[in-house]
Amino acid sequence: MTTTTIETALQVLEKQLNQPLEAALEVCARCGLCAEACHYYQAEPSPENVPATKGEQLRGVYRSEHDFLSRIFPAWTGAEKLTEEKLAAMAEMAFSQCTLCRRCTFNCPMGVDTPLMMRTIRAMASATGNAPEILVMLADAAIEKGNDPSFFRDMFVEQMADLEKELQAETGDPEARITVDRPGAKVLYVPLAGTHTILPPAIIFEAAHEDWTLSIFEAANYGVFLADTAKAKQIAARIVNEAKALGVEEVVLAECGHAYAALRWEAPNWFGETFPFKVVSLIEKMDQYITEGRIKLDPTANAERVTYHDSCNMARTGGVIEEPRRVLKAATLNFIEMTPNKAEAWCCGGGGGLVALPEYNERRLKAGGPKAEQIRRTGAQVVVAACENCRLQIGDLSRHYGLPVEITALADLVVKAMRLPTTSDHMQAIFESDKAKVKVARN
Amino acid sequence: MTPMFATQLFALAALLFALAAFIARRQATVRRALPVDRSPAKGDAQRGVLYAFTLGMAPWAKESTRLHPVAYLRGIAFHVGIFAALGACALSLWWETFPPFMRGAFAIVIGFGALMGLAGEAMRWTEANLRALSTADDHASVWALTVFMAATSAALIIPAGLPIMYITAGAMLIYAPLSKIRHCIYFFFSRRFFGVFIGRRAVLHTAPQGLSRGLK
Repeated sequence: MTTTTIETALQVLEKQLNQPLEAALEVCARCGLCAEACHYYQAEPSPENVPATKGEQLRGVYRSEHDFLSRIFPAWTGAEKLTEEKLAAMAEMAFSQCTLCRRCTFNCPMGVDTPLMMRTIRAMASATGNAPEILVMLADAAIEKGNDPSFFRDMFVEQMADLEKELQAETGDPEARITVDRPGAKVLYVPLAGTHTILPPAIIFEAAHEDWTLSIFEAANYGVFLADTAKAKQIAARIVNEAKALGVEEVVLAECGHAYAALRWEAPNWFGETFPFKVVSLIEKMDQYITEGRIKLDPTANAERVTYHDSCNMARTGGVIEEPRRVLKAATLNFIEMTPNKAEAWCCGGGGGLVALPEYNERRLKAGGPKAEQIRRTGAQVVVAACENCRLQIGDLSRHYGLPVEITALADLVVKAMRLPTTSDHMQAIFESDKAKVKVARN
Repeated sequence: MTPMFATQLFALAALLFALAAFIARRQATVRRALPVDRSPAKGDAQRGVLYAFTLGMAPWAKESTRLHPVAYLRGIAFHVGIFAALGACALSLWWETFPPFMRGAFAIVIGFGALMGLAGEAMRWTEANLRALSTADDHASVWALTVFMAATSAALIIPAGLPIMYITAGAMLIYAPLSKIRHCIYFFFSRRFFGVFIGRRAVLHTAPQGLSRGLK
């Protein structure tokens, strides 16, 4: 690293220094009330895991650049000039000791937006080559895929033709279709990697007689984890342009927390426009179908004790809180809440891209301790999570902490409660196979 | 020029400096970009802001304050004391017209605020997280406010202490915009942004069905 690196990092800070960020940097009274709100602190109660302490990393740099008293007497205010070592340490902290879950913000008397500061550090790290390589590679691969989709389109369409047969077998409807990028469709469904995020929604869309088509892209956006707006925008542009070209009315995203937060809440600001289509989660869509009576569910199909994990991106960041509960009440017989839940739910520890970073596995599993304990207390046999990263993390937690639970997506339970004419054993095998593939790919 | 008048002038000059510095700070922040949120709202931003400044500040509204009611109440009493002391100081020329019980009540509230300042300072030294987190500025800020409150409370009971009150007020007012005390102006920014966030996204207040799907 060189002086240019530091200059670049500081330029990123200056560029991002808008009113919300300055408020977050200035308002903290260092009262320490945020400490116990953080799952990292719960797992390891030390001062460096207090959210305010993490925020001080950036505040020190900000003060050294912007505060009169700090420039004269930096030691008095804890101001610290940015150095190569400090930038590297800040990057390590922002990527491995904060999942951007917002729990501290909700518990702060001032409402300090610590995740905003952590994202700023991540942006500084990304701009200077200090971000985790895996996240950079995943983001770049997604951008590459968007640049030339023809490379894999034929293979994907072929795969979907095979999956269409599965759909027809599952629904007992030879007319059931999985179309890819069909112009004129009302709904564009954007899945994640793996057919386990395609077949259940396809079954639900067919049952609801939805006019839908499938996106060739995946909803995941690793640019968000890097806080690299340019990359995040490029990744989102694939879906935005696809939806515009097809003329759809609605984009429905797979059960994925960060993808939802990104495309529903952030992307319009990256593009500087309100999209000509709505962006909803599959959770909201299922809630709509149930409310409108377009799909009928038999809750006795899911008689086990079921609990729901609020993904931070879906709940605290996204506001999707009551919808999954309405769906669960319709699809299951024995739903039990974790305590606390909804906006106060504990982060599972896998957010912010952590689940994709094997170098932080130990820390990630430790930070998931509060969530594991929450799950254990419910006595549930099934944990539902509306986010792929949360499901992967809770799966890891269940093995690490010995939780006898099955982890599933909400759509899987809904499909089960639809009482399809054919056995779902085969479909279950597909889910399991896909989950295994995802796990292998990740490791 | 009497010593009393000199200290009054000092306090007044400090007040003008603090006001000018706070206004300049606020204007500098307002000049920074305010992101325009182009995502369709799910809930009501105004409702979120109202909540953020009212019930959202209640001790039962947050897990952190439910877990630490004493720390929360200490903070409230400290800040009530500060604003009462500022009010009392501003009205000090008319104290003689106040009924004795009113001066006594002010003295008690402000004096209690000073005690809570001392308690806060003690916490900063004894509690491991706070000790690690605190800068010299944090300690100095608490002390500046605590001494000011103590002097104001004492002056309400013993009028001979008025010059000391003006001196401590002046010192505190000069230090305030340069220090962590300036978080008082950012409180309004931060809570408003938080309110807009939770309001637009209907995080704490569920949007009606239909709106919740962004379909209407």
